[in-house]
Amino acid sequence: MSNFPLAIIYMLAAIILPLLPRQIRSAFYLIASVAAFVFLINLEAGASLGFHFLNYELMVCRVDRLSLAFGYVFVIMGFLGGVYGYHVKDALQQVVALLYVGSSLGVVFAGDLFTLLFFWEIMAVSSLFLIWARRTQDARKAGFRYLLVHAFGGSALMAGILLHLQQTGSLLFTHFDGGVASYLILLSFALNAAVPPLNGWLPDAYPEGTVTGSVFLSAFTTKVAVYALARGFAGMELLMWAGAVMAVYGVVFAFLANDGRRLLSYHIISQVGYMVCGVGIGTAMAVNGATAHAFAHILYKGLLFMGMGTVLYATGRNKMTELGGLFKKMRLTLLFFMVGAFSISGVPLFSGFVSKSMVIYGAEMEHLGAVVLLLNLASIGTFLSIGLKLPYFTWFSKDRNLKPEPVPPGMYIGMGLTAALCIAIGVYPALLYNLLPFEVHYQPYTASHLIESMQLLIFTGLAFWLVMKKLHAEAMITLDTDWFYRRPSRLAFAVFSVSICEFFGAIERLSLRLARYLVRFGANPAGYAVEATKNARHVLLHTEKPSPEPPSFSPDRYRIPLGFMVLVVLLLLIVLLAWDFLF
Amino acid sequence: MKRKRLIMAIATLIIFIILDVLVVSGHVHVEFPWSHIPGFFSLFGFLGCLAIIYGAKLLGHCWLQRGEDYYDKDDEHE
Repeated sequence: MSNFPLAIIYMLAAIILPLLPRQIRSAFYLIASVAAFVFLINLEAGASLGFHFLNYELMVCRVDRLSLAFGYVFVIMGFLGGVYGYHVKDALQQVVALLYVGSSLGVVFAGDLFTLLFFWEIMAVSSLFLIWARRTQDARKAGFRYLLVHAFGGSALMAGILLHLQQTGSLLFTHFDGGVASYLILLSFALNAAVPPLNGWLPDAYPEGTVTGSVFLSAFTTKVAVYALARGFAGMELLMWAGAVMAVYGVVFAFLANDGRRLLSYHIISQVGYMVCGVGIGTAMAVNGATAHAFAHILYKGLLFMGMGTVLYATGRNKMTELGGLFKKMRLTLLFFMVGAFSISGVPLFSGFVSKSMVIYGAEMEHLGAVVLLLNLASIGTFLSIGLKLPYFTWFSKDRNLKPEPVPPGMYIGMGLTAALCIAIGVYPALLYNLLPFEVHYQPYTASHLIESMQLLIFTGLAFWLVMKKLHAEAMITLDTDWFYRRPSRLAFAVFSVSICEFFGAIERLSLRLARYLVRFGANPAGYAVEATKNARHVLLHTEKPSPEPPSFSPDRYRIPLGFMVLVVLLLLIVLLAWDFLF
Repeated sequence: MKRKRLIMAIATLIIFIILDVLVVSGHVHVEFPWSHIPGFFSLFGFLGCLAIIYGAKLLGHCWLQRGEDYYDKDDEHE
C-alpha cells in the first residue's frame, strides 16, 4: 500500500499492548515498530489518502520526499528507543511511547490542517505522560507546566487554522502566505520548536522525564515542529535570524546548566536553531540541510540522552556537581556517549559533520556572513559543553566513589545500534543524502572543509584545556523564559485563588457568627431582653455591672403572670372600642 | 608544563596556517571578509570558546543564576 497512514499501526498497537502479558509487551512494541517500517518502505512519494468528513475534504496521508525523510527517522528512533527501554515493565510508558511516535508520524504525513491538529494534540498529551511516568513531585509539577504551555500552543494552532479556513476556504497544509491566521499557526509551530522566547518549557520538562521517556521526548516534538515550519514557512527571513540566535542562545544556557540532561536539553534548542535557520533561508540546499540535520540530530541526541539516562539509571544522579570518576565503572557508556558527542560536535566521520555543514553551506551560498559566524560559534559551544565539559565532569574530574548499579543489556544494545547509525551516516553520507527532499549537490569531505572544522574543534579544545582547572560545575539553576509564568504564578495565585478564598471565608465567618448569635438569642429571648435592660441601666444610671452571660433559660424565672396577659388583652379591647367610638 | 602546552598550541596553529595557505585559500567558493586570513578558524575557535565560557559565566553570576530552591519557595502553600 503506497498511501497507508502509519499512525494507525501505532494507535492499534497502543490499544493491544496493555492487554498482552507483561513479559511480551516490550517485544510486541518492537514488532509494531518493524511492521510500521515495512509499511513505510512501501509508501511512495506523491501518494495520498483522502476522505470526506462533514463538509471538508480531509487528507490523512500525503507522502512526499520531505515527509518521507522525517518519517524514516521517526520510525527508526521509535524502534531504537524501544530497544533501549526493553527492560521497562511500565505499560503506561510503553503505551504513551507508541502514541507519541504514532502521532508524530500522523503530523508528518498529514495533508490537511485538521488531521495535523488532531495528531498535534495527541502528541502533546502522550509526551506529557512520559514526564509524569517518572512519578516524582518535580516531574508532576514540571508536567503541569508543560501541559499548560502546550495547551496554549494547541489553542493558538486551532485559532489559526479556523481563521485560515474562514479566509481561504481550504484546509490543505501547504505554504502559508502571511496574515493573522498564519502568524497564529507560526506561533504554535515556533512554540513546539522552542524558539526563544517560547523555549522555557523544554529545559524545564525534558530533564524530569523518565530515563527512557526523555529519549523519546528529545526526538519528536521539536523535530515535528521543524518539519511543520519547513512545510509552511520555508524562506521566512525572521526564522533565519531566530534560528541563528537560537543556536547561540542554547549553547550559552547549556554552559550554565548543572543537570546533565538539562544541558542536553539546551543543546536541543541550539541544534534546532540550525534547522530553523536552514528553513528560514529556504533554498533547496538549506532546506535539505535542515532535514539532514534533523535526521542526524534525532539519532545522536537520542544517543546522548540514552547515555546520560544510563548514568541516571545506574547512579540515581544526573548533576555534574554530584557525579565524577565513573571512567573505570561505566566505560562502555562513555564510549557510546562520546560517539554522540562527536556527532553533535561535527567531528569528521560522525553524522553531525555531514549534516550541520549543509546548513552552514546553505548560509554561505546566500552570502549570509553573520549567520555563518553565529552558527560556527554555536558549534564551538556545542563541542565545549557536550564534547568536553559534560563527559569530563561525569566520567573524570573528582572521583566521588559512586557505586553504579548494573545496567540491563537492552540499554547497551540500544546505544550501540544508535551509535552505529551515527558513524554509518558520518562515514557514508549518501545513506542520508538519498533520503533528502531535494537532490544534493554537496560534498562534505573536501580538504578545505576538513581543515576549517579541525581548526575550530582543536582550538576550542585548547581553550578548554587552558581554563579547565578553573572550571567547576555550580549547584545553581539558571532563570529562563519560564520565569515569566513560574514566578508570577505566586501573584496570580494570590489574585485568583487566595483573595477569592479569603473573601468567601470572611462571609462564611460572618454568617456563622450571626447564626450563633441568633441561636443563643432564640434559646432565651426574654433573658436577653432583661440583660439588655440591665445593660442600659448600667450605662445610663451607673448601676452595678451586670454579669456578661445571660442566665440560662428557666421557664419559672421569666414566666409572665396570667393576670398581666389578661390586663394586656383588656387594654387592647378598650383601645379598639375607643377607636370605634371616636372615628 | 605550561610552556609545553604553549609550544604545542603554537605548533598546531602554524600547521593549520600553512594548510590554510596551501589548500583552502585557492578553493574558496564564496568570498567572505575572513576568507583570506590564514588560520582564521583557529583564532575563532579559541576566542569563541573563551567568549562563551566567560560570557556565560558573567551572564549567570550577574543575572540569571539562582539557588536550586529558587522556585520551590513559591510552593509553600502546598
